[in-house]
Amino acid sequence: MTATLSRSVPIARAPRRRRPRSRAAAWAAVAVIGFFGLAPIYWLVVTAFTPDERAFTFPPSLVPTEITFDHFARLAQNEQLFGYLVNSVVVSVVTAFLSVLVSAYMAYAFSKFRYRGRKSLMHLVLASQLFPQALLLVTLYAVFSASGLLGSYGALILSFTTFTLPLCVWMLKGIFDTVPSTLMEAAAIDGASRWRTLHQIALPLAAPGLVAAGLFAFVRAWNDFIFALTLTDPDRQTLPPGLVHTYLGEFQTAWPDLMAASFVVSLPVIAAFMFLQRYLVGGLTAGAVKG
Amino acid sequence: METLNRRAAFRLAGLSALGAALAACAPDAAGGGAPKGDAAARTFGFTSWSLNEEAQKAAVQAIVDAYAAKGGVKIDTASFPYNEYLNQVTLKLRGGQLSGAVQLDISWLAALAAMGRLKDLGAQAAKGGYTDVALSSGRFQGRQLGLPWTTGSIGLVANTEILKKAGVEGMPATVEEFEDALRKVAKLGGGITPYAAATKAAQLKDILPWMRTFGSPLLEGDTITVGDDASVAAVEWYKKLYDAKLIAPDVDRFDARALFAQGKAAFYDDAIITRGVVAAQSPDKSLTGKMAPLARPVLKAGDTPQALLWGHVIVVVEGEGSDAAADFASYATSDTATVAAFFEKVKLPPTTTAGLADPKVAGDTFTTEWTEKITKTATPNPFWRYAGYAQIETAIAEQVQAVLVGQSSAKDALAKAAETAKPLQK
Repeated sequence: MTATLSRSVPIARAPRRRRPRSRAAAWAAVAVIGFFGLAPIYWLVVTAFTPDERAFTFPPSLVPTEITFDHFARLAQNEQLFGYLVNSVVVSVVTAFLSVLVSAYMAYAFSKFRYRGRKSLMHLVLASQLFPQALLLVTLYAVFSASGLLGSYGALILSFTTFTLPLCVWMLKGIFDTVPSTLMEAAAIDGASRWRTLHQIALPLAAPGLVAAGLFAFVRAWNDFIFALTLTDPDRQTLPPGLVHTYLGEFQTAWPDLMAASFVVSLPVIAAFMFLQRYLVGGLTAGAVKG
Repeated sequence: METLNRRAAFRLAGLSALGAALAACAPDAAGGGAPKGDAAARTFGFTSWSLNEEAQKAAVQAIVDAYAAKGGVKIDTASFPYNEYLNQVTLKLRGGQLSGAVQLDISWLAALAAMGRLKDLGAQAAKGGYTDVALSSGRFQGRQLGLPWTTGSIGLVANTEILKKAGVEGMPATVEEFEDALRKVAKLGGGITPYAAATKAAQLKDILPWMRTFGSPLLEGDTITVGDDASVAAVEWYKKLYDAKLIAPDVDRFDARALFAQGKAAFYDDAIITRGVVAAQSPDKSLTGKMAPLARPVLKAGDTPQALLWGHVIVVVEGEGSDAAADFASYATSDTATVAAFFEKVKLPPTTTAGLADPKVAGDTFTTEWTEKITKTATPNPFWRYAGYAQIETAIAEQVQAVLVGQSSAKDALAKAAETAKPLQK
């Protein structure tokens, strides 16, 4: 005991002050990274409020000299964009739901059961992430075409779910690993079935991870361009191809309108992140350290 | 009777699902390449990027509606963004999902024609009254696979106000006069780029007409001549302009338009739509009145000015509704009232002699000047005959950029470009 106390003395010492030079370097790093992260967003917002003829001023002005709301007014009148928004919400929400549903069961099975081929299966799931997704487009196109799903929401949702599953499964497996198996055993002793143990004990404990996995799947589906453009009919396309379709033309790009639309459509995602961020952070880190 | 346990039942279900999936993916008995559907059907598709472009969609939709009402047919329209259009159309044609009429950029014709699914429109072309240069844009290996919808060219545009301020009298006709004009403009200062030429790799294919100006054919038979003395001289001249800051680094078509619209460039290369595009970006509402098309300067007096042919064609996919689609393509591209009205709305020049002579078109000075000075001698890019033409252009552009930034000599760079391009000739 004495030895323990004497060893703890250096730890109890007041923490050394960080050198001003290293602090300055840390702040410089934050400033540089912050600039690269925030400058495009600043430019997006500024351009969204800049009149068309001022948007192409050379050299460009960092601070807007004139402000207009015309681009937002035009956006409000564009019914087609509202359709793209609805498609995005439908596809992203269903993808998030399906991804969480399937990956939760898969992850639980990988984490809490021991059976032949378990590790191989786990690595197979992860290996599917190694293929560039664009390469799978042609194959998926043929599969959906042959199955009659091409052009439907189903084609998009199935392909997005397929892509998000590996990461979701591994993320949730890490979280289920942290749930003590003794809890499951106690539940079994109390007469709970496996089904009940999963739904009433394991899943509630993994809730932050489920939210994180759902958000990941939602954002993946929300941001995709090439699959959303290729696998659906024009009237079922989501916002990314919809915005390109609407504002990027053969001869010119309506940059201020595009920026205004991008600004508005990013608001729901920002709101979702702000609302769920504590789950997201908790979920992403929960499986990182095993207790 | 033997009963299945749960594991065996799962295994059986899995195998069944796999079998069903494989069966679904298998090609059908008709074969992927055979035309499908009833050619005489009265319903067909029309795929066009213009159907979703703000400046053109109303005009294109009006043509679709007018033909549907007149012909008693149903036209299902579809659209993809221009930058993704070729990929999407290729994928859908390969997958048998594309039928009817399809708008194409003339540079894409070879890529789609190579798939062997396009209908020969020779009969429609023969009675359409198209100009020779327009018809050539829709021809592939001797077959008329596309009807020309609009035919123009990529040429030089000048800001006459800047030239006047710089003391440049008249439009430069030779390369030497052009260089003199650029040097005079450079003396104006004020951040003006004398010639907003393409210097980004993505747009450096614009140098090809200059290589031709210096005497390189680019392609002789199937032999790439990039790397010959003429093309090397063209690139060295371009590099000289670059070093003298008469052309600016990191410029593509969009940058050049922005510079020109702001009155910060005296010359740049663009298609005939330049007037509308630049006007929309410019704070100077009188800029269009100061814009003048000019024939690309020649190496020596008497040479033919070089320009790149540019335009759109309508092709028809063999199969479902192809007869009506071919008639629609003919109507959209050669009915004089239709093409004149289309020109009035979007300023894209028609392709028939009668269309060009219509007062609505002939009365437009900018268009007639452009046609006379630039389109008249425009020729297609010889590499368009290859499905991999874009990679060939990129191979050349990347090497020209290496010269501009001083990483390579023109001779070495173009020799390397030709070597890279050789296997892409297919």
